[in-house]
Amino acid sequence: MIVTNIEVVPGRRVAKHLGMVQGNTVRSKHVGRDLMAGFKNIFGGELVGYTELLTESREEAVDRMKQQAEAIGANAILNVRFSTSSVAAGAAELFAYGTAVILE
Amino acid sequence: MYDLIILFVLLFLGYVFGQMAEKRHFRSIIKREDEYQSILTFAKRFPLNNDGDQRAELVGGNVVISVDYFKRFVATLRNLIGGRITTYESLLERARREALLRMKAEAHKKGLNTIVNVKLETASITKGNKNQVGAVEVYAYGTGLLSNHS
Amino acid sequence: MEFKNSKIPEGINVSNEHPLKNFVYLLLGVTGVIIIVLLVLFYAIGFVAKWVPFETEVKWAESISVSFERSSDSTQNGLFDALGLPNTDNNSDEHDEQYTLRVEKITVYLQDLADKLAVAQGLPEPIKITVHYIDQPVVNAFATIGGHVFIYQGLIDAVDSENGLAMVMAHEIAHVKHRHPIVALSRGLGLGVILSLVTGIGGDSLSSNLAGHVNLLTSLAFSRGQETESDIEAYNTLLEYYGHGLGSTELFSELIKTSQESSLPELLNSHPLSQKRIERLEKMGESTVIDCSSATFNCTLTLLPEFAQSLKE
Repeated sequence: MIVTNIEVVPGRRVAKHLGMVQGNTVRSKHVGRDLMAGFKNIFGGELVGYTELLTESREEAVDRMKQQAEAIGANAILNVRFSTSSVAAGAAELFAYGTAVILE
Repeated sequence: MYDLIILFVLLFLGYVFGQMAEKRHFRSIIKREDEYQSILTFAKRFPLNNDGDQRAELVGGNVVISVDYFKRFVATLRNLIGGRITTYESLLERARREALLRMKAEAHKKGLNTIVNVKLETASITKGNKNQVGAVEVYAYGTGLLSNHS
Repeated sequence: MEFKNSKIPEGINVSNEHPLKNFVYLLLGVTGVIIIVLLVLFYAIGFVAKWVPFETEVKWAESISVSFERSSDSTQNGLFDALGLPNTDNNSDEHDEQYTLRVEKITVYLQDLADKLAVAQGLPEPIKITVHYIDQPVVNAFATIGGHVFIYQGLIDAVDSENGLAMVMAHEIAHVKHRHPIVALSRGLGLGVILSLVTGIGGDSLSSNLAGHVNLLTSLAFSRGQETESDIEAYNTLLEYYGHGLGSTELFSELIKTSQESSLPELLNSHPLSQKRIERLEKMGESTVIDCSSATFNCTLTLLPEFAQSLKE
């Protein structure tokens, strides 16, 4: 599965457009991580726990998007976009969407 | 009275450690930017127009950086008057460059040397009823390509 | 076409201003603005509140004390019920009666003293002083809205002579004369409004925290000013009533001796430090010429009546 956020795949030609596919996930971190974050809020610095959380979440969102694309028989997703929104305090929704295509 | 002492201790800790962390981070960013100089990033929507492109892969990098107590206090004061919150400017600059670097690192790991259509996404993370936790997340992503520049 | 990434010079997106310098400017600026706003507010309210008619003040005081008595009554009844104490005991009844008589006697004595001092102080017409005696070992006395002055037994025990007690009494009467209780109450209300506004706009615990601290320090400074004003007024009352200022420092000396003085610096106290108050009073004593040979006054301390001594023994 080729995933890009541009409108083409270099050297390949799109044979068929299959429409939009999307993947999302809503996640939050456990209290321990939050306590650590509260501590870091005094001293500053990277919140490694939150970085990991968001990385994993994006991976999962992309994974789900790929599953959708596979299910409809695509072999590439073009023009992928990400969006993040906080649905509740401490929880975030990670959303990925793009166009599923079949490449020649 | 004790509130006041706690406030100043927190401000002091925030300033000392926050500034130290920021300086260290900037040094490391500049160093790594030199390392990944060979990986070119562009905000253009199409691949470079030469025939080297054979692979295309999504690459991305993210980072969550917390504000320190000092920065937050200055921002709060600034909020009452209005104007440029310089302490947050440097924070966001750090976060963006770090995210771009992580994206480049991923491209490097995958053996790619060009990233096109780079997008940056910034989100503020707050938690607690009085926003006790304040942090900023930057996610940088783009399409990694293998091309021969020139 | 050529593709390359040129190195971008540092420091374009971040300002080079030193963060501490920025911080100091901001802190001074914001604190200054808050202080100015508070000062304007304090003076304005202080000025307006003095024009509230005393009758209105008395009415407010009544409405507050009624609700207070109601709540304290219910808690007392509740306590007795819970402990199952017999309310009708012969022995305790007799004791109670004696006790009530003594409390009444002291109250009458204090009220009498207050009335005389009020005359000596030249308390303007509609204002009336009502003295309440509280049999508790706390060294305290305070004046509240409606001209009510509360004197604790602990305070009577802490002074050596009637002059010392009169000094405190005159001090509290001076508070009433200068309308300090109603001014303080109005300031409190005005501040509450301003603070909630700041908290609402700032939206952050930090900004309200800062405003709260500045407010506290300003209020304390005003409170100290009022105390000093009352001290001076009380000393002059003593001169008028006894013909001399002896005994005016008794309470403050006692507070220092029994180390009940607050250990915080003066900036954080609602009252000036006792040592300073003594010094001021002594200075006033030096600057007033007292004619001790006069026939009407003699430079001796007046003793406290025996029944006013602590009832606990």
